[in-house]
Amino acid sequence: MISYFQAAILGIVQGIAEPFPVSSLGHGVILPRAFGWNIHQNDDFFLAFLVATHLATALVLLGFFWEDWKRIVAGVVRSLREREIREGDADARLGWLLIIGTIPVGLIGLLLEKPLRSVFASPASAAAFLIANGLMLLGAERLRRRVVATDAVGSDERLSHMSWRNAGFVGTAQAIGLIPGFSRSGATMSAGLVAGLSNEDAARFAFLLATPIIGAAALLKVPDLLGPAGNGVRGPALVGAICAAITTYFSVKFLLRFFETNRLTPFGIYCVTAGVLLTLAFAAGL
Amino acid sequence: MLAVLAGCVLLVIAAVYFAEPAHSLPGFFPGHVSAGSSEAAHHHVKHGIAALAVALAAFAYAWFATGPAARRSHTTA
Repeated sequence: MISYFQAAILGIVQGIAEPFPVSSLGHGVILPRAFGWNIHQNDDFFLAFLVATHLATALVLLGFFWEDWKRIVAGVVRSLREREIREGDADARLGWLLIIGTIPVGLIGLLLEKPLRSVFASPASAAAFLIANGLMLLGAERLRRRVVATDAVGSDERLSHMSWRNAGFVGTAQAIGLIPGFSRSGATMSAGLVAGLSNEDAARFAFLLATPIIGAAALLKVPDLLGPAGNGVRGPALVGAICAAITTYFSVKFLLRFFETNRLTPFGIYCVTAGVLLTLAFAAGL
Repeated sequence: MLAVLAGCVLLVIAAVYFAEPAHSLPGFFPGHVSAGSSEAAHHHVKHGIAALAVALAAFAYAWFATGPAARRSHTTA
């Protein structure tokens, strides 16, 4: 089982690692092993615990972008009513770009999440994929297209100019985050850069894409938390969820400001360094 | 028209996934298992949700493809 202390630590790490491009799932696999805790990724009680922390993360993301979501949903409804996306209706177009970006990862997640998680659940493979995640972030910064980001138009308007194909590409890239060690937000931001977005816009698109997919995945598994698998873990899960909610809020706030002027490079270096050190430590039997 | 047809077929597939346990699914459906399997009674709800999501996407595509903007572009062409 999970103690309240462990729940708080795991919640804090989840809240930081989910929006940061450093793989929350990978850290969730590696951390218990690094601390010598008897918690494994595929334990029923741990999966129930993760439902609570992910639900908290999704709710914070929804609350953080609440005003944006109201505009976007209104835009989608408007376009459905008019049976067209009017020229210049950035909210409607952004809404449909998010839907197109969500469908592929939703399908892949629904069909492959369980097998992928069970195949790649070991801390050693998560550490190896953390290196690959770092290389992906560094590679995306090298492959990025030149972006002309004008401050005259808002981020949503710039995002709404993205092509349908690029939205599908960026959304599909999220699926790599199903493998512990690869970051969902990192993959989305990397694909966004390659598709021609700025760091700031790629981060915003990644957070908007994250809300429905994390929320839906967590809601789908709420019965696990409320069922027998959740017995004895609901108290720690609540503590973990509160910690995750607090750290998610501050992480998103920090990252949105960070990516106005900075790049993915420091996170890439962190992932490669941490991945190499952990791989060596696990190989040495530590 | 094709999108509407695909959407209807996918709706039926989703309903089958929601209603039938794994061993009762048609043999060509992903997730089908024999009656003796340990997962025979399992309902593939996730497969059903996936089929439903694609069905809705197909209907949405059909909705826009036959809307005023599409008609205008046909007329212009």
